[in-house]
Amino acid sequence: MNLIKAVQMYIDKMIEEAGVGMKILLMDRETTSIISMAFSQTEMLQKEVYLFERIDSGRSNERLKYLKCIVFIRPTRENILRLSNELKSPKYGSYFIYFSNIIPRTDIKALAECDESESVREVKEVYADFLSINANLFSINIPTCLHALNWQSDALDRSVSGIIGVLLSLKIRPTIRYKIGSQVAQTLAKRVFDTINKESSLFSFRPPENGIPPPLLLILDRCDDPITPLLTQWTYQAMVHQLLTIKNNRVDLSNVAGVPSELKEVVLSAEQDDFYAKNLFSNYGEIATTIRDLIESFQKRAKEQKKIETIADMKNFVETYPQFKKMSGTVNKHLVLISELSMKIGKRSLLELSELEQDMVCKPDHSAQLQKIKKLVSEERINVEDALRLILMYSMRYERHANCGTVGLLNSLKERNGRTHLVPKMLEYISQSARSELFNTVKITDAVKLTRNLIKGLKGIENVYTQHVCVLKELLEEIFKGRPIDQQYPFINSSEVPYRRPPTEIIVFIVGGATYEEALAVHQLNQLGYRVILGGTTIHNSETFLEEVIAATNGAPFKHSRSLQAFHNASNA
Amino acid sequence: MFDESEIKEGFICPICKSDEKNIEVLLKHFDEQHSEEKDLITTFRDVFKIAKKKILNFDEKTFENTLKISKPTNPFQEYDFIDEVQEIGLFTNHFEYFKAIRDPRIERYATETNKLIIRLNKLLTNRPNDPQQIKQHEQNLVPWIDGKLVKLCPSCAKSFFLTRRQHHCRLCGSIMCNDCSQFLSIDESKSIISPSNESKQDDSVDIILKQPEDSIRMCEHCLHLLITRKEMQDSKLSKPIITKIYEQIETLKKEIMPHITMYEKMIDSLYKGDSVYTLADAGVLRGKIGSTAETLDDLSKKVLTLKCMKGSRQEAIQKSLRMAAIKFIKENMLTLPQIPVEEEIKKIQQKRIMELNQKIERDRRLAQEAFEKYDLSENYPATSSKTGSSIKMVDNWSGFQQNIQVNANDPLVEQMNIIKGYIKQAREALRFEEIETLEANLKELQHEYWLRAQQKENSEN
Repeated sequence: MNLIKAVQMYIDKMIEEAGVGMKILLMDRETTSIISMAFSQTEMLQKEVYLFERIDSGRSNERLKYLKCIVFIRPTRENILRLSNELKSPKYGSYFIYFSNIIPRTDIKALAECDESESVREVKEVYADFLSINANLFSINIPTCLHALNWQSDALDRSVSGIIGVLLSLKIRPTIRYKIGSQVAQTLAKRVFDTINKESSLFSFRPPENGIPPPLLLILDRCDDPITPLLTQWTYQAMVHQLLTIKNNRVDLSNVAGVPSELKEVVLSAEQDDFYAKNLFSNYGEIATTIRDLIESFQKRAKEQKKIETIADMKNFVETYPQFKKMSGTVNKHLVLISELSMKIGKRSLLELSELEQDMVCKPDHSAQLQKIKKLVSEERINVEDALRLILMYSMRYERHANCGTVGLLNSLKERNGRTHLVPKMLEYISQSARSELFNTVKITDAVKLTRNLIKGLKGIENVYTQHVCVLKELLEEIFKGRPIDQQYPFINSSEVPYRRPPTEIIVFIVGGATYEEALAVHQLNQLGYRVILGGTTIHNSETFLEEVIAATNGAPFKHSRSLQAFHNASNA
Repeated sequence: MFDESEIKEGFICPICKSDEKNIEVLLKHFDEQHSEEKDLITTFRDVFKIAKKKILNFDEKTFENTLKISKPTNPFQEYDFIDEVQEIGLFTNHFEYFKAIRDPRIERYATETNKLIIRLNKLLTNRPNDPQQIKQHEQNLVPWIDGKLVKLCPSCAKSFFLTRRQHHCRLCGSIMCNDCSQFLSIDESKSIISPSNESKQDDSVDIILKQPEDSIRMCEHCLHLLITRKEMQDSKLSKPIITKIYEQIETLKKEIMPHITMYEKMIDSLYKGDSVYTLADAGVLRGKIGSTAETLDDLSKKVLTLKCMKGSRQEAIQKSLRMAAIKFIKENMLTLPQIPVEEEIKKIQQKRIMELNQKIERDRRLAQEAFEKYDLSENYPATSSKTGSSIKMVDNWSGFQQNIQVNANDPLVEQMNIIKGYIKQAREALRFEEIETLEANLKELQHEYWLRAQQKENSEN
């Protein structure tokens, strides 16, 4: 169940089928990202792929008949039309065509009718139709997927094909559960279920051995946990995304002062960067230590290099040269990243903020917390967007509190020209069940949760900055322990007989975007031997999540935030 | 007969069941007495190895176990499912269906194209010079459609009259107006009919000419079929320079890779003090790798100088090829370890020899001590005499072969000389894999020879 490997194997197979000789890879916007997440350009050069082209951009009519053309595109209408035109006047010697998902037979017929010069050698469906970010994390790359709290239809279609792609790449035919009460999760679950049944010939995998339940596809909704994407993060990948934004494994550093030109954009790929792979989930403290050690050993070597006196020195140097060179590149990159991160953390007082955030989401202590937030929101040194995050969390946390101070906080945010309209929007976005369950406002009847909270309290806090446990982690633990979840997460197919044993493999998909904090939780479970894959319409940080909230609540009526009417419109800000 | 406590089960010869007391003695005994039972020996050796491992491991394991308790599991593995062998994802092949649609269509085109080519051929053979006669010639071959039946040009739908006259396609006989007519020059037509005598590389010349003197008038449809055919032929026949150079580059790469691994092995072995390869070998091989690197560099530079338009695909691919070649050279060839200096190697070798000698000496002493111990305690028949028996005597070990002559006639010496010759040849041909096996052979022979010499000495004593 390694997603990166799954995509790599598909690509390798395509290249292998094209055989020896110079090759060009013809892709569309999305498949370009899919491939770039699996292989670097250098690796593709080694596989004799020397040219990369987008089918959807302006292309010259220059013909290079000595090239073999591997076409890897999504089976969309526009792509089929473009490919038909390409085949009518072929620019390359031969074509090996791969679609990233299920393609209707009529489209194949249309293509076959265009291939008058007999240049097509292969037509296949492969199912690499998702971005493989980590071995167990994927994204469909839809920045915003809802409108008026319901699906945008193309986002729904894309999500269905993305999930189908993951299932077929891993050869899994799952049972499907969704979060009850979420219309969007149910719709998606139904669509995936229907597709699996319609394409049952594709999904005819050998069922698991006796008694082992089939893998579970669990479809969740972001609005059941809008807190996680707002929190300040402290593990490497999550921090980089929160503070610098990772896009298709790339981080744009061009507006960082004093960055050398080769580091204007850095690639963060666990596949190509050992250091990154090892420290993806390390926390800020650990990574700072690691990088210091790395620099020390690097300096040591650099010093050795200076005094090459004997031949043995030279030999040592030459022998270690490749790693040496590689290492210096990695060290530089991560050094720049870490120093940029720590600069931002210091400048935005994120340690202080994070402590308050964690305190707020884990402990009810209204008056003290409100006092702190009030003070921070008005302070100049606190970033306006960070102040907004605090108010958002507060407003959700204490929405029903008798002395709720949201209006006051919004007024001081308004003075600083903050985006006050986001608060009512967020209160429309958060789901009903999140309102009642997300915070520790536990009903006395829920004995299990109550005891767990008690135990948690007794254990003490290991790290003030990472107290928060995302909903997903708790849920997955419950499932693996075999606790009944039918009430909250019913099967889409009501005739599905629940297995007595809990599933051993789970694929989670979060409508409205997953987060790297959840990816960390999934990673920790996998470390314990469970097998979980996490995916989402996208991977959010606070900034992108707020965009999602704005888009999702657009056109939705204000139901829960009438008291905040003064802040409804963006123009007020 | 023996005091039971003294018999160590592990050292009983599996064939003759004699107790040999000690690893060295047993192995020696086995080599001498039972060398014919080769397969048995190997099994015996294997068993022995396993036993040895087990004995040696015993302590290590208990040690490891104690370690394991204190060893923490690594919390940050690179991947979660690291040990998993992953099967490739699902594929669906649509090519059969694609072909089922495409091929009949192609076939239809093919028959049509073939018909046109046959006609074109006929039109060109015995083509008269006089224009009037040409028309007659053409009409004889292809039946022209009656002009009265056609009122409008079929491709542009304009009516024919005095200034828009009817024209016939010389290949299918259909009618069109002058504006819709296409022309194929006689030269091009000839090259389509017999592609073999077409040798020009210049494919940039526009083969469609607008009404030249010496050309054949035809409709768009016929021209399209012919052009498609020509393109398919061209792409099959012509091999642009870039492909030729590229193939050279790839062959070079493929050829040099085993040399590079060999070189690395050689340097490694030299540093270990082995004498299989000499410094000169390494030098020669390094030279070869170096010159290949240069050729690769030159070839890829040549690719870069090929004529191309700025900003074209051709330019992009040339740059990309050059980049790939540079990467290859950088990663595989420039990073090769240096050849060690001769003195250094000599030092290493001497050290190694010294170590070996010490080890031999130590082993021998140990064996001797063991012998003496048992000899004294049991009055066991002197095993030392057995060291004298030769391999030829296994079936009859009562006697000794007396005359082993150490001279040039000795087949062993002869064999050794032959092998030395082979090694020399192989070295000249840079076939280092062979040298390795030959050297191993030679060593065995030398060992054998030494044994015999020993034996002879013994028998003389």
